[in-house]
Amino acid sequence: MTAPAQISRAAGKGLILPIFVFVAAAILLPWVGAGPISLSRAFHREAPDYGILVQLRITRTLLALVAGGALSLAGALFQAMLRDALATPYTLGISAGASLGAVTVIAAGWQMVWGVPATWIGALAGAFAVLILVIGGFSNRRLSAFTLLLTGIAINSVCAACIIILGGFAGMSRSFSIARWLIGSVDSTSYSSLAVLSVVVLVLATLIMAQARSWNLLAVGEQWAASRGVKVPALLRTGYIAGSVLVGGAIALTGPIGFVGLIVPHLVRSRISPDHRILLPSVFFFGGALLAGCDALGRIVLPPAEIPAGAVLALIGGPYLVWAIRQRTPPEGM
Amino acid sequence: MSGLLEIANLELSYGRRMVLRSVTFNAKPGEFLALVGVNGAGKSTILDIIAGFRKPASGSVAIAGRDQKAWSLRELAQRVSHLPQTVHSDLPYTTEQLVAMGRYPHTDRWFESDEDHRFIRQAMERTRCWDYRHRNFASLSGGERQRVLLAACLAQNASILLLDEPSTFLDIDQQLHCFNVLREEAEAGKLCIAVTHDLNLALTHCTRLIILADGVVAHDVAASKAHENDDWLRFFSSRLRIGHPPSGTPRIWYQ
Repeated sequence: MTAPAQISRAAGKGLILPIFVFVAAAILLPWVGAGPISLSRAFHREAPDYGILVQLRITRTLLALVAGGALSLAGALFQAMLRDALATPYTLGISAGASLGAVTVIAAGWQMVWGVPATWIGALAGAFAVLILVIGGFSNRRLSAFTLLLTGIAINSVCAACIIILGGFAGMSRSFSIARWLIGSVDSTSYSSLAVLSVVVLVLATLIMAQARSWNLLAVGEQWAASRGVKVPALLRTGYIAGSVLVGGAIALTGPIGFVGLIVPHLVRSRISPDHRILLPSVFFFGGALLAGCDALGRIVLPPAEIPAGAVLALIGGPYLVWAIRQRTPPEGM
Repeated sequence: MSGLLEIANLELSYGRRMVLRSVTFNAKPGEFLALVGVNGAGKSTILDIIAGFRKPASGSVAIAGRDQKAWSLRELAQRVSHLPQTVHSDLPYTTEQLVAMGRYPHTDRWFESDEDHRFIRQAMERTRCWDYRHRNFASLSGGERQRVLLAACLAQNASILLLDEPSTFLDIDQQLHCFNVLREEAEAGKLCIAVTHDLNLALTHCTRLIILADGVVAHDVAASKAHENDDWLRFFSSRLRIGHPPSGTPRIWYQ
């Protein structure tokens, strides 16, 4: 058996589990919920089972799968670009920007703009505003991971302050929906929104995965990548833009769900492979399954109340982050 | 000119400090150059310029008879490899995955070919890191890491190897082994340029010493004739002496 055959086989094996988990989540999770759904009634399109399944549970599960995949993929991408296994779009302030954009829209009371949910426009605009601010502010200087992280901290605090101010001006009910949105949850959505998000995510995911070999090198170092022939500035530009759209797009529909972009890449890297050719697709599938799983869990633990998926993930993710930080190998000679 | 590397009138400042005033030298295949000088003399800067990381304010670099700017980044990477002093990555790549990255400029394939794997294994065996190919790079000691990075450069199979202090972190036996490997590369027709502070290691293994001082090439001496005129030693310390033992190459000692 030749070495490349071994490797492609290993890659195949690495992808079997994530794909299986993703498909299993898509098939099984719509049936999980506060009330039981009868299989035969659903198949015979009888109310209310059919409606609950098709209008609520399936859209919700699909949204969680796509949004979770997008957020995890974006997490893995930012970790490669910043060369830090614990970096996420949150560290850069892009999520905060997207949140501020969406909250502005909610506070203003806009529902739909040009037939698309207004929060969508708000979140994307916010994500891009932060991106342009960060990249533009450093256009004539080198973009170093460290300066980006510090900038991210500054942007996070400014956005958090603006969100609080907006919440103060908004009326009682709007400020409640802002607070609820900020926790992050997966709610049933229209099939048209879902289709738009899926197409965007699919295109960007393909674009990102096609560069997998280059991400491998960039994750070691910018000079390391450049001296092996990677066009680093162009690659970084692609990464920041694609990552921001993924984050903005997902957040617009779910609210700022954290930790999925941290836990999943971190686990896949240590358990399956840090090689982006395997890592990126695995992370997408596991991320989707994790978010859908957390959402299903939130539906059944305290019925009839629902715990938002963002809260479930935070309960799992917070302790995981602390554990991951403690597991870190201390850098040699520092 | 048939030089593999032709450097002419390089000039570069960091802020108001002029690091390179006018650096000119040529090098052929089969040479092993030691780029030496005191701290801040611009040794690493020159490697960075040849590798394409930094643009000089003026001057030119020609590689294989063609201006450096005329090569694409990838074509350049097929011809020039650069060993950094160290890499900082938090991501858990294995040693072998890191070395495999040296093959990047040679293929568009999604996964490495048999030929790539031959280069990877050969490079890792030569720098003695094949045995720990499955270990996490971040968990290695400084010396082990340095051998992996050198293997990644060898796997790149470029005709010019730029090495920024390749023997840092290595114990004496590993330093000798590292410089032996580089010498063998030069003897096989490559051009090696190493930045180093170890003058004796340079004298025993390199073919030529390029002494940088005050932003120019102050001296350019053949290693075997370095003892004939010891003017160049004063750039390092007034306490250095050079001599030629009955057998072998010139040696330096201090008083």
